Amino acid sequence: MRIKCPLCGERDRREFYYQGAAIALNRPAPDAGDEAWNDYIHNRENPAGRTKDLWHHEAGCSAWLVVERNTVTHEIYGVELAEDVKRGSKNAD
Amino acid sequence: MRFSAWQVLKEGLTGNKGWTPHWRSPEPKAEYDIIIIGGGGHGLSTAYHLAAKYGGKRIAVLEKGYIGGGNVGRNTTIVRANYFLKGNSEFYSHSLKLWERMEKDLNYNAMHSQRGILNLFHSDGQRDAAARRGNMMINQGDDAILLDRQGVREIVPYLDYDNIRFPVYGALYHKRGGTARHDAVAWGYARGADQRGVDIIQNCEVTGIDIENGVVKGVQTSKGPIKAKKVGMVVAGRSSQVAAMAGMQVPIESTVLQAFVTEGLKPVLDNVVTFGMGHFYISQSDKGGLVFGGDIDMYASYAQRGNLPTTEHVVEAAMTLMPMIGKAKMLRSWGGIMDMSPDGSPVIDKTHVEGLYLNCGWNYGGFKAVPASGDCFAHLMAKDEPHPVAAKFRLDRFRTGQNILDEEGSGSQHNLH
Amino acid sequence: MADYIAKTPCDGLLPQTIGSLTLTETAVDRMTSFMPWKGREKTASKALKAACGVAFPGPNETSASGDVQAIWTGRGQCFILGVELPDGLSAEGALTDQSDAWAVMSLRGDAAVDVLARLCPVDLRDAAFKPGDTVRTEMQHMMVSVTRMDDGFQIMVMRSFAKTAVHDLTETMKAIAARA
Repeated sequence: MRIKCPLCGERDRREFYYQGAAIALNRPAPDAGDEAWNDYIHNRENPAGRTKDLWHHEAGCSAWLVVERNTVTHEIYGVELAEDVKRGSKNAD
Repeated sequence: MRFSAWQVLKEGLTGNKGWTPHWRSPEPKAEYDIIIIGGGGHGLSTAYHLAAKYGGKRIAVLEKGYIGGGNVGRNTTIVRANYFLKGNSEFYSHSLKLWERMEKDLNYNAMHSQRGILNLFHSDGQRDAAARRGNMMINQGDDAILLDRQGVREIVPYLDYDNIRFPVYGALYHKRGGTARHDAVAWGYARGADQRGVDIIQNCEVTGIDIENGVVKGVQTSKGPIKAKKVGMVVAGRSSQVAAMAGMQVPIESTVLQAFVTEGLKPVLDNVVTFGMGHFYISQSDKGGLVFGGDIDMYASYAQRGNLPTTEHVVEAAMTLMPMIGKAKMLRSWGGIMDMSPDGSPVIDKTHVEGLYLNCGWNYGGFKAVPASGDCFAHLMAKDEPHPVAAKFRLDRFRTGQNILDEEGSGSQHNLH
Repeated sequence: MADYIAKTPCDGLLPQTIGSLTLTETAVDRMTSFMPWKGREKTASKALKAACGVAFPGPNETSASGDVQAIWTGRGQCFILGVELPDGLSAEGALTDQSDAWAVMSLRGDAAVDVLARLCPVDLRDAAFKPGDTVRTEMQHMMVSVTRMDDGFQIMVMRSFAKTAVHDLTETMKAIAARA
């Protein structure tokens, strides 16, 4: 699997650290309640197909990335800087 | 047909013409008392225990593919009861006891071999941890021996004992641990369940779960709708998709775990050896192949095949521990889909839907749990109360934070196990 | 007061020549990381140029002026080698002294690219990686900065990795040389 980092270009999977579902960009408010926090920390959609998750270009530029990819075929549809996704109020779920 | 030495002799002398299929291939009936979604090891064991132990009648197992085609045929076949935490240890202890009588109960040769497992340690701190784990195992009623370096050397003389990073200090030796023929376990439970009236329906994919007013009514399948009073979801690897049919999101991420086998070699490894620091473990199959594996591929995937960096890492660990393995040719590798839970432990519980039950989250350790998982899930489904040894496998432990079963001590969060 | 002995990171390890390949240590007396403050990337680049003659390089790029070299080392970060930066630059970004914290090596020889091909999962051949280009990648399991020079590769790893890096590089050089 190769991921096209927006800064470094296409790189081998081993340069990246996987964090998990991009839900981490949608942190609930501190007073959102147990259910919201339980969903945020534990429960996952975990789709067999298209998903968005967070990767860290650990051995490269150190940027956090939102990678949209397919969990069955490993096809990658797009990669964005997590910062752009968050600041651009783009939908990260 | 009952298997026996006499039967083998008779069939051998008469051209082996009398063997019959091990289970029927029935079409689904319109209605069952209990439907088990998932004909893997856990699902078949559940059906068997429901029929054999808890008086269950009119039971069907619905399998999307074929029996033995999923994780039960994709693991590295290790059977052990060396858990540390209360909640896990009594469960796996129960499971090992069931393994020890499985072949008699099922009248089936699962090639269960109690060849012993060596968990290596490489520092004084790790020795302390191994001693503590061993004491917990003994307190649970299981067996554990703390071996020093010389003790390990007598069993597996060819490890790299003086590796500069991971010198072998000793091992925790669990003699009753070992291996089994993985798909024979599935076949044995399928046959045992079938003999007790369970309908095993292959190539039957569940596409929906019918729920009315919070009560389960049946399932929709590729072979049409089937009614049921109770439905059990036992589909580790695909738990998120099936649970979603009941409107549930479960605390699971699916990842690939790879396994590898070399060409067949003469007997060289009598035990199972685990090298936890290198995420590597190995045994030798009865056919002679060295069967080994490593850590998960570390990202969500349903691909049932692995990535090369992890293969490389596993092979590096193999060479670190056991340099002679470099002479062997790797024959095959494959991958299975793991239900990874936040704390690394499973769930056997009811759901918010009446009559709908959930068995999931086996991480990378489901095979050894097959007998007890089936027994405990059958108990839960038949009696509506948890089996005493599986009482802590609650789904709500993540929300409440109580009784988190974090065996590795790394935290109750995805991506840490 | 203890009497400290100054040692370069690869002291006692380099230089080494294996076949037609050479690996040498590059002495860098000043190295500073520069990370422009959020929103000041353009003025920071101008200020850097005014201070030492090099602009802030883009991703995978370097800029040079005389003995001063700016190497892109990550998102919003570059290393300035060969000059002491004025304190005033900290108005434009974070300055951190990296001198002595990195082992800087040069790999030269026709087969140098073959050595790195075995160690780094990035295409460093001429067509893809020209003089002045740089990458952050990994070498075996070490984080590394590789820059193409006119006559070879400049390789930087954190000082604590120096021995491992030299080991991996020289073992691979031996393997490549044996095939020549």
